[in-house]
Amino acid sequence: MKKNNVKSKWYSAIIIIALLALLSFIVSGFISLFIGEDIQDGNVALITVKGIISSEDAAGFGSTVAASQTIVDFIEDADKSPKIKAIIFEINSPGGSPVASEEIANAIKMTNKTTIAWIREMGTSGAYWIASSCDKIVASRASFTGSIGVIASYLEVSGFLEDHNVTYERMIAGKYKDIGSPFKPLSVEEKRLFQNQLDNLHNYFIETVAENRNLPKSKVKEIATGMFYLGEEAKRLGLVDVLGGKEEAKTIIKNKLNITVELVEYREETGLLDILGELSAKQSFFVGKGIGDSLLDTKNSKLEIWT
Amino acid sequence: MTRKGLNLPKERTFKGPALIWKRVLAFLADILVLNLVVFFPFKKILSKMIPDLKSYSEAYNFILANQSYSKVIVLVSVVMALFAILYFVLLQYKLKQTIGMMLFNISVISEIKKLSVLQCIIRSIFLIPIFPFFLLWIIDPLFMIFTKTNQRLSEVLSKTKTVETYII
Repeated sequence: MKKNNVKSKWYSAIIIIALLALLSFIVSGFISLFIGEDIQDGNVALITVKGIISSEDAAGFGSTVAASQTIVDFIEDADKSPKIKAIIFEINSPGGSPVASEEIANAIKMTNKTTIAWIREMGTSGAYWIASSCDKIVASRASFTGSIGVIASYLEVSGFLEDHNVTYERMIAGKYKDIGSPFKPLSVEEKRLFQNQLDNLHNYFIETVAENRNLPKSKVKEIATGMFYLGEEAKRLGLVDVLGGKEEAKTIIKNKLNITVELVEYREETGLLDILGELSAKQSFFVGKGIGDSLLDTKNSKLEIWT
Repeated sequence: MTRKGLNLPKERTFKGPALIWKRVLAFLADILVLNLVVFFPFKKILSKMIPDLKSYSEAYNFILANQSYSKVIVLVSVVMALFAILYFVLLQYKLKQTIGMMLFNISVISEIKKLSVLQCIIRSIFLIPIFPFFLLWIIDPLFMIFTKTNQRLSEVLSKTKTVETYII
């Protein structure tokens, strides 16, 4: 009788513990779901720089923007985390705002972690500015890199207005206040001033790349024609360190830090609208949405400076 | 030869305060069970967040430098403590014994009427990792050593005793 009692007590205890174990699995699962972002599994951060580099996060429906503030936040988070030993920047961008590019480049320089730029299809202009501030640059033989130059453009519609009997009434306080206005052609002096500013910016870009890549300024100046270079040529010119892709980037870190690389992706959560936007962008590529976009741009023409 | 055959006096049993070494070992056995079965999934979350640090000071600096982590660590610690309390309360209320107590043949009794859930909760409050409850980690054992009945402070407050059966 007493033996049976003891046996049933053990059974009851085991059932209670099994239920507690099940409950703890469920509760820990819920906790993991809600704090998923805070938990990092890997030791190397993977930060993506994809699309046009901008200081604003407002991407159009279907277009991708690499917002500098978001990327800088990711870099700072990775820098603070003792689990993260290195950062790989996955770059696929034609460039963008010089200010936004510089913000990201400065954040990279501030970090104490090993930084690797992994250029995919394209890492040109402002995107190359960012890549050059990393410790090493890895690019594919087929990647477009370089394009160290500055471009400023806008659509000038004064002729169009004239054809439609619309006059541009110019009232300004400050001689150059409406410099770059699409409603009037640039004067020779204005063009010269504009060119000076672009040259200054170009020079700054060259100096930064020369400093970052440890190259003589004269050499960078020579290749900073705005021309892009394919991987192999870029390596020969000193713009790229290693030809390859993700695995080569991981190998550099493995050899330098003597660690087994486990990547952890730093990214913003994707909402339904983003997914729909991406789908739309792919569809639009085939139906010539680009043409429509450029027509739309004619109406909202504004001066833009890009690196 | 039976006791009856020898005409010996009847075997008498009574419940007295459990020996301290038995209580300590029973508690250690319970912690082991909790670690192996109940805490396991939570430890996985914590190990994902906290890197392999060499010292407590490194761990402390890590938590200070990662405020978002520290919130999660506190949350997980509190949930783990709640599970530990649930373990002790459920087993003691239902069976009057935990696994450790069953191994060492000791049990919980109420000094007043039947053992209630509230009494079981009060005697387990030392597991809450928040001030002032964690002070009981020091006060409870001291109380147990210096009282005649070997009661912890939380046992005195809950009007419960940990006992074992003595045979004369």
